[in-house]
Amino acid sequence: MDTKKSLGENLRIWASPLGGFSRNRVLRRALRDYEKGLLGYGELEELITYSSLVIIGAQISAGMSYVVDGMLDWHDMFRPFVSVWRNVTPTSLLRYFDNNFFYRVPLFTDKPEAATYIWAPRVRKLARFAEPAGFKVVLPGPVTFVLMSKNESGLKQEELAESIAEILATEARLATEAGAALIQVDEPMLTDPEVNPDFAVLASELVSKITSAVGTSKTVLALYYGAPRPDVYEKLIDARVSCISVDVGDAPGMYTELLTSKGFGSHCAILGLVNSRTLYDEPLNALLELAIKILREYGGEEVGITTTTWLDLIPYDHSLVKVKTLDLVADRLASLLGSERLWGVVKP
Amino acid sequence: MTSYRTPGKFPTTVVGSYPKVPIAEKFIKMRKSGQINEEEFYEAIKPAIREVVEDQLEAGIDIVSDGEQARDDMVVYFAERIRGFGPGEWVRVFDNEYFKKPVVVGRIEWVGPITVGLWEYASSVSKERPVKATLTGPYTMLEWSFDLHYGDRKELLMDLAKVIRREVDELVRRGVKYIQIDEPALSTRPFKEEADMLREAMEVIFRGVEAKKIVHICYGRLERILPYILDYPVDQFDLEMKNSNFRLLSFLKDYGYDKELGYGVVDVHSLQVESVSEIMKAIEKLMKEGFIGPEKVYLDPDCGLKRLPREVAKAKLRNIAIAARIARERW
Repeated sequence: MDTKKSLGENLRIWASPLGGFSRNRVLRRALRDYEKGLLGYGELEELITYSSLVIIGAQISAGMSYVVDGMLDWHDMFRPFVSVWRNVTPTSLLRYFDNNFFYRVPLFTDKPEAATYIWAPRVRKLARFAEPAGFKVVLPGPVTFVLMSKNESGLKQEELAESIAEILATEARLATEAGAALIQVDEPMLTDPEVNPDFAVLASELVSKITSAVGTSKTVLALYYGAPRPDVYEKLIDARVSCISVDVGDAPGMYTELLTSKGFGSHCAILGLVNSRTLYDEPLNALLELAIKILREYGGEEVGITTTTWLDLIPYDHSLVKVKTLDLVADRLASLLGSERLWGVVKP
Repeated sequence: MTSYRTPGKFPTTVVGSYPKVPIAEKFIKMRKSGQINEEEFYEAIKPAIREVVEDQLEAGIDIVSDGEQARDDMVVYFAERIRGFGPGEWVRVFDNEYFKKPVVVGRIEWVGPITVGLWEYASSVSKERPVKATLTGPYTMLEWSFDLHYGDRKELLMDLAKVIRREVDELVRRGVKYIQIDEPALSTRPFKEEADMLREAMEVIFRGVEAKKIVHICYGRLERILPYILDYPVDQFDLEMKNSNFRLLSFLKDYGYDKELGYGVVDVHSLQVESVSEIMKAIEKLMKEGFIGPEKVYLDPDCGLKRLPREVAKAKLRNIAIAARIARERW
């Protein structure tokens, strides 16, 4: 216990869910009615806003430091962007990683151009309700975007990724100006064992480009659906972000080995501990032991606790329960390590 | 049981599902809401099965299916008829489409025939053409359910395999000639440990079974999982090929593939109907690889046709059948 206390006495621990939430019953029906032309967009938007506020409230009451609006209207990670960019369109369905969930493959036919930006208006509308927590914005990483799309643009993959990053950088800047406290860039494809380090170098450069546009807001590179190869990870930790978020709960063995040898660089650690794809009661002690094992070599002063992936793959009620579990894990870890448990947005 | 003579070369078949006939949708909803009971449902759904079997016959398919008209979802249908599953809650599949992801709440047990009655009915209206029985595999049932009872994936998998085996025995007793286990979830975790675990389950399902034994896998890193599954106790792998631009062919050749092949030649996610010459090119591509003869190749769509408009699905099947006839002349 003494070792644990000495490990944690300078640590500040906070919690935040990784990404989107499941839709509630009202919203599922409303979206269906909207598709059938039985509901106008104004009414639908109102219901999306109410539902987002419920999600935000649940996170605040569970002591989350950063909250998301649930991204309840997003059909998949790419869709809202694809829907407002020129020269790209959503096409056929393809399985989304190892889930029984399908996304529509974006088809790029030329260099993408943003007709409008999606996050800033949402942030302006909802961020003020997030206090005392900070409002978190999530963007798909440009390399994941390209690797999960069809490229008929005539551009090389790298060029296409760069043009996507340019748009996302503007998204991030506008969102920050509107009041976002945290910008998270998701690069789950970088955990694919077949992705080579060249893509990691590209991802690192492009994520840095996006985050350089956001001034002092906290920035996160999120890796999930497995652990990246060590040669990929060591390139990713060059990214200019405040924190790196890793899905340790899904691949505990691989991550323990990886993080023991490579660490988090100069970034703060965010540990994806709470499993967002099962309904089991979390094995709390095992999660705490895992966190302590990983943090043993960690020299940072701040640790975020999050979910293994987004919370949109389990039923709505359970996605809310998982937020409470996040709170519990963060609380118990702080108590075990003698660390400070942070509530509300993290001050530097 | 059937006197129809399946062609010795390039027989045509389907993977299983076919676009839902409106009355099938209606009766699935009525059963779910308790307006009709299970027995009434099985009777009510038969006209839908007859319609889709007729579509397949008209298209010229040699080995047909019941179109899975009774199944709202490939996992939910089975979960609702196996003891140990509890009702699920809504989880999104894509866009604004959801399914009630089943939850394992107790020991898994077979309580009665799940597919047998409708397979028999389909066989009675298939004009003596064989009807393929399609069963959702234990790995996919495991992966696409929530488990709150076992806490041990392998134990749950093996109990699911025993249930499927019981169903297989019932089907064999009634004369089934083609049994396909659908395992789309396997390709999403292309790891040796997972493949090894499923091999044990496949042995439970197929040991000593006297029928054509098929496993269908689709979408994902098939080339990564294939080396670990080639020794499964099955006669045929039915694989999605068209959607992934036939890139698996070179892998199959390299792996020394020697089983029968269910060769997916039309894309079930595209509304565009592949022309006969396009399908012929796909067949030619396979034949050029030289690792398999025409007597081991079954032509079919990449996957189930349920998401397509009915006329598109039928047109795709028709072109497969025409291409098969030409191919039989040529090879």
